Amino acid sequence: MRLVLIIHLTGVILRVFGVILLVPLAVALAHGEGWDAEGFAVAGAVAAGLGEIMRRAGAPGEHEMRRVESLAVVGATWLVVAAVGAIPYVWVGIGPVDALFESMSGFTTTGATTFADFTQYGRGIFFWRAFTQWLGGMGVIALFVAVLPRLAIAGRQLFFAETPGPTEEKLTPQVRRTAAVLWRLYLGLSLAEVAALTLVGMPLYDAVCNTMATLAAGGFSPHPGSIAGYGNPTAEWIIAGFMFLAGASFALQYRVLRGRPSALLRDDEFRAYVAVLVAFGGLAAWFLWRAGLGAPAAIRHGLFNVISIVTTTGFASMDFQNWGEQAKAVLLAAMFVGGCAGSAGGGPKVVRLLLVARFTLAELRRVLHPRALLPVKLNGRVVPEDVIRDVLAFVACYFAVFAICVLVVVSLGADLVTGITASIATLGNIGPGFNLVGPMSHYGQLHPVSRLVLTAAMWLGRLEVVTVLAIMRPEVWRMTHWRAGGSPGASRGAASP
Amino acid sequence: MRIVLVGGGEVGYALSRALGQDYDVAVIDSSPEVAERFSSLDVDFLVGSGTDGALLQRAGIGRADFLIACTGFDEVNVVACAIARRFGSPRTVCLVSREDFLRPFGELEALRAHLGIDRVIWPEAQLAADIERIIEAPGAIDAESFAEGRVQLLEYRVGTESFLVKDSLAALHMPGGSLVVSYKRGEDFAIPRGSTRLEPGDKVIIMGTLPAMRDVQARVAADSGTPAGPERVTIVGGGDVGFRLAQRLELRPSIEVRVIERDARRGEFLAASLRRALVLHGDGTDLELLESEDIGRSDVFVSVIDNDERNLFASLLGRQLGVRRIITRVSKPGNLRLFERVGVDVALSVRGAAVAAIVHEIKGGRSDLLAVLEEGQAEVLEIAVPDHYPATTLRELGVPVESIVGAIRRAGDVIVPRGRDVIRAGDHLLVFTTAAAADRVRDFFLAPSD
Repeated sequence: MRLVLIIHLTGVILRVFGVILLVPLAVALAHGEGWDAEGFAVAGAVAAGLGEIMRRAGAPGEHEMRRVESLAVVGATWLVVAAVGAIPYVWVGIGPVDALFESMSGFTTTGATTFADFTQYGRGIFFWRAFTQWLGGMGVIALFVAVLPRLAIAGRQLFFAETPGPTEEKLTPQVRRTAAVLWRLYLGLSLAEVAALTLVGMPLYDAVCNTMATLAAGGFSPHPGSIAGYGNPTAEWIIAGFMFLAGASFALQYRVLRGRPSALLRDDEFRAYVAVLVAFGGLAAWFLWRAGLGAPAAIRHGLFNVISIVTTTGFASMDFQNWGEQAKAVLLAAMFVGGCAGSAGGGPKVVRLLLVARFTLAELRRVLHPRALLPVKLNGRVVPEDVIRDVLAFVACYFAVFAICVLVVVSLGADLVTGITASIATLGNIGPGFNLVGPMSHYGQLHPVSRLVLTAAMWLGRLEVVTVLAIMRPEVWRMTHWRAGGSPGASRGAASP
Repeated sequence: MRIVLVGGGEVGYALSRALGQDYDVAVIDSSPEVAERFSSLDVDFLVGSGTDGALLQRAGIGRADFLIACTGFDEVNVVACAIARRFGSPRTVCLVSREDFLRPFGELEALRAHLGIDRVIWPEAQLAADIERIIEAPGAIDAESFAEGRVQLLEYRVGTESFLVKDSLAALHMPGGSLVVSYKRGEDFAIPRGSTRLEPGDKVIIMGTLPAMRDVQARVAADSGTPAGPERVTIVGGGDVGFRLAQRLELRPSIEVRVIERDARRGEFLAASLRRALVLHGDGTDLELLESEDIGRSDVFVSVIDNDERNLFASLLGRQLGVRRIITRVSKPGNLRLFERVGVDVALSVRGAAVAAIVHEIKGGRSDLLAVLEEGQAEVLEIAVPDHYPATTLRELGVPVESIVGAIRRAGDVIVPRGRDVIRAGDHLLVFTTAAAADRVRDFFLAPSD
């Protein structure tokens, strides 16, 4: 691993990130929030300056980038971007731990907040929260791959390192065009949702912020009462619809838009995704109805909150902390699903669970038929064994990290339900959990160390765990050099006559 | 009529035997040793490549009516057809054995035309289709259908408990719309009369309308205690035939298919390509595997390995484990009888299917020939009753004893006639006849001499 290359590429991305901070700066100024605007200006200056220094300190590699290096660039970029993105929060008086938590929660599209009192902060800050989610939803790297021609060659590896789902999908032969196509689709969906929400009476500023939080499967609403705070059932249906899209594969949606709607019905993951939503949504609605809610309201709230949790958005159309235990159990189960691969959603992803389920069924069948050949198939094609291995490794790592988080959070004073839901809600990039971290509550009540650990969980979850754990292995660090990329054997070989 | 055969293998030899007496046949094969075998037949034999234009010309391709490419190599067959078209205008029949070779033909008619191939014959697919038809009819050992599927023909081996042996045919009360059209006792093949009484061990062919044949099937099933429809089918050998058969059976949700394949890589291909079937990696002649997989509980055991000895062994193991119906593929035509004698219910040969299809293609110029059965001993003809024909009851008509009118198609209806039914001008008759009497039967209906 060549540090010089990693620092250089991270610097290139960070420098451009400085420019992006002009957007919230403009919003803050437009709302006459001068002090907040200064925060964005400082963050922008830090990003541009630090980026430039890193770019110069490092150097583009002469050799092609290796996989572990691209993973390191992605991991480092997300860390640095989240750190710089925390500066505006610190500027308005939030403690550094909470600011980093909030910033990481934004970029990773988690939507877990430490804000106790929403009235303390200006519109610029709330815009920034939603905007970081919108950027993180499609992927920070994907954005830069799309706009930075300089990344062209490295971009290909970075693009896949950022979204390491089990199915590598490219819509066009050039990864740069693929990233551009996906961003265009994302932008188009965003404009559509803003238009729909303003049509049903939501103020433009709220419509924009909620849209950015919806399509990123984020969940940061400028309203302290989340979507429930607007009391607008039509808007809830609209947002539920766009959350559904945000949790479905964007590549698949692109194909549908290109006139291949049959692609949807033939896609195993999409069908499983719909089945999960219908089953969990129906179950939740039924429990709510039995608890005394009217049928239309039960269906709306059941579906909305299940879609919100499964897609890992984290909006709430009512305070589900107050639901009955049965309906809450449905939501808890839904927290372990996640969106589709190639969507804005986080979590383990539907396709991975589908593969694990099929693999498990095949193994159970093998007990009865020891000589049977039982390949795992997806969309009618055999899934290679190494992919299955990766998926199993992912699931194992995911639950190991989850267990460690629960242990830490509960040890530091939270109750068990809070510990479990806070851990899965941050690792799965969902946002709200139950009890202390319920949808109308906030993470500020947790121990500072818990908050830091959960910040790391969000980062791990967004980069799909294995990516980060792979570069943290000691042997990677033993192989890490400042400049020399080749193995020691190679350089010795070059020196010998 | 002149026919050029490219390829002197089993198919070429069987075709030469079947066609040599009636037509001018020239055989081309690259192996001189093969010539010996053909010397006893009344055919020309040329040694050389079937893709050699000059040789094809010497074989008389310029005036040939048919070119049959039946070597063991798909590529040679395709090229031979293309070259033959350059030097003459025969109708070309191309044998293929690999699926990947055939698939484009199904979709791209233009490619087939471009290569100059008029008819593709895929014996393995044909055999798979035959086996499927037989599996579908429980207890039957052969099955055919005519008149857009409205007339069915089934062959059974008569069991000791069968209702068919209880009385003479006239007194049996066969389900209305069905008719026993032939029986075979030992090697003797005959058309029954009302007074005929069937015996256990006879092979009997019954023809009838679809609903009537369902009744027949139900009664046969009731007598022999077999379930109404097959539920578990085990296929030993996942080659071209086994794979195709599994693919076809998979489409029926009620059937559970198992394929046993010895080659690991082929097995992986099967497991990847088949949707529901359970693919087992192992040897179909491995008793332990068959027992541990409870193969004895299968309703049908199909052994389609490309090796007669192992096929027979696997089939006998299947029988030993208690499978009711055993269907086996036979490669060497001489083994066919032996197989049926030692306990295989239905023995079928790939080459037999190919030869029958090609003979049908050539004789099919006489479009009245619907099917050739019983290794060529019987034929089913469709005869249109001429306009001037007077209405006559079947009894008065006195059809030759070697034939029987199995069904009458009249303006969209299908009637299975009895003696008092009337035949009118414009009727289409489905006539079952011995092959030897086929020409006489044709003449009887088309040129009545009274």
